[in-house]
Amino acid sequence: MQDVRIRIGIAAILSGAAFFTIEGALAAFIWWLVISHPLEVLKRIRVVFPIIIMIVFFSIIMEITGGGGLAYSIRMIVILLIGMWVYCEHRKGEFLHLGTWLFGDRGGFELGMLAEMGMQSLDILSSDFLQIRQAQELKGVRWGVRSLIPTGIILVHGTLRRADDAAELMAVRGYTRGGTFCPEFTTTTRDILESLFALCMVIISFVIASEFFILYR
Amino acid sequence: MRIVLDNVRATRGEWSLSASGTIHKGINLINGPVGSGKSTLALMLAGLFSPASGHIRREEISSLMISFQNPEYHITGSTLEEECYSWGLDPCSVLPSVNLTGKKTDSPLRLSRGELKMLHLALVLAGHYDLLILDEPFSSLDCSGKERICRSLSERSQGITVIFTHEQTTFPRVDRIWEIQGGALLDRGNLPEALGHWYYAPKVIKKLISSGKTPKNITPADLLEVACRT
Repeated sequence: MQDVRIRIGIAAILSGAAFFTIEGALAAFIWWLVISHPLEVLKRIRVVFPIIIMIVFFSIIMEITGGGGLAYSIRMIVILLIGMWVYCEHRKGEFLHLGTWLFGDRGGFELGMLAEMGMQSLDILSSDFLQIRQAQELKGVRWGVRSLIPTGIILVHGTLRRADDAAELMAVRGYTRGGTFCPEFTTTTRDILESLFALCMVIISFVIASEFFILYR
Repeated sequence: MRIVLDNVRATRGEWSLSASGTIHKGINLINGPVGSGKSTLALMLAGLFSPASGHIRREEISSLMISFQNPEYHITGSTLEEECYSWGLDPCSVLPSVNLTGKKTDSPLRLSRGELKMLHLALVLAGHYDLLILDEPFSSLDCSGKERICRSLSERSQGITVIFTHEQTTFPRVDRIWEIQGGALLDRGNLPEALGHWYYAPKVIKKLISSGKTPKNITPADLLEVACRT
């Protein structure tokens, strides 16, 4: 999908639908299966699997303690998959275009720049995570909760250090706030068709949900 | 004990690296400019990255270790003491050797990058591995740190040691030189013969060779000896 405005809009609508109802989550999941090239997404972002395991783990605890864990895990996993799709489709610099288009040269520029830096951090985190795991395996450390703690500490420490370096560099270069930028977007027929498909799925999911409640009454 | 690279090719977008040859026991230096694919090749030798085509055979190698450029990746202990134990080593013998006595209870992440790199290399070099791969071991080190690591590396006699570096000043004693040039790994041969074919050789070595003085090896002592030769 070329147009970041449509992509983020679809992601927001589908995530909202998935968050509020299980039917919405299923509709969003079907959309994700049809449109997002799921195998490529899962292959590229393998870190998704430990996150899914973590969600399932907390869902089981919820199910045991108060119920609703299954629905929670389905909805959260679908939201996660939609997020992964947004991440895979991201092209460098487009959040700067989006932010400036939405909120202008000051707040919008800064928001877009922050989003870009966040995406860059995610890329680095992903490669750091892989190398930390490789280093731990060679050291004979088994993958588990105990190895997760040092991994998390190293990742957070590295991210904070890079953020600190970036902030210092920007200050040295004289950055204070905002910037001048002319946002540009390319919208294709495919973008429009995919967004219409997403809207249809969300509407259908709400219709099914409301029908269910009418029958239930 | 050897590593056979059989028409190995790694690609990333338009960038590619091809490698063929056999890496034997001893200290192998793989030299090449930044971005030439040294880290990618290091990962492939360690079996952590699959080549797009070709095969890498590690023969009679039962234990291997790779030291990444970034020493933080290897940390699993919350204190220097724990970190030493995590490598199966006694902190009382390792920490003084890298001037970190009295910091046993400090977090490894509180050390400077250079201190952490020294500690990490000391821990790695204390181990016995059939294959030891060091990716840019001299980065972040000062001159005395580089010399200390070079002395330690020069003493290694067991297994295959592969050093990937773009270092131009301080080297350990090496047995064979390889370099990555024009997207291919080239075997320059054993020392001292390899020195004459070494494209990315440091200026001082090139100058010595052009004046007819070929050093036996590339350690600072060898270079000094040949430079002072009349």
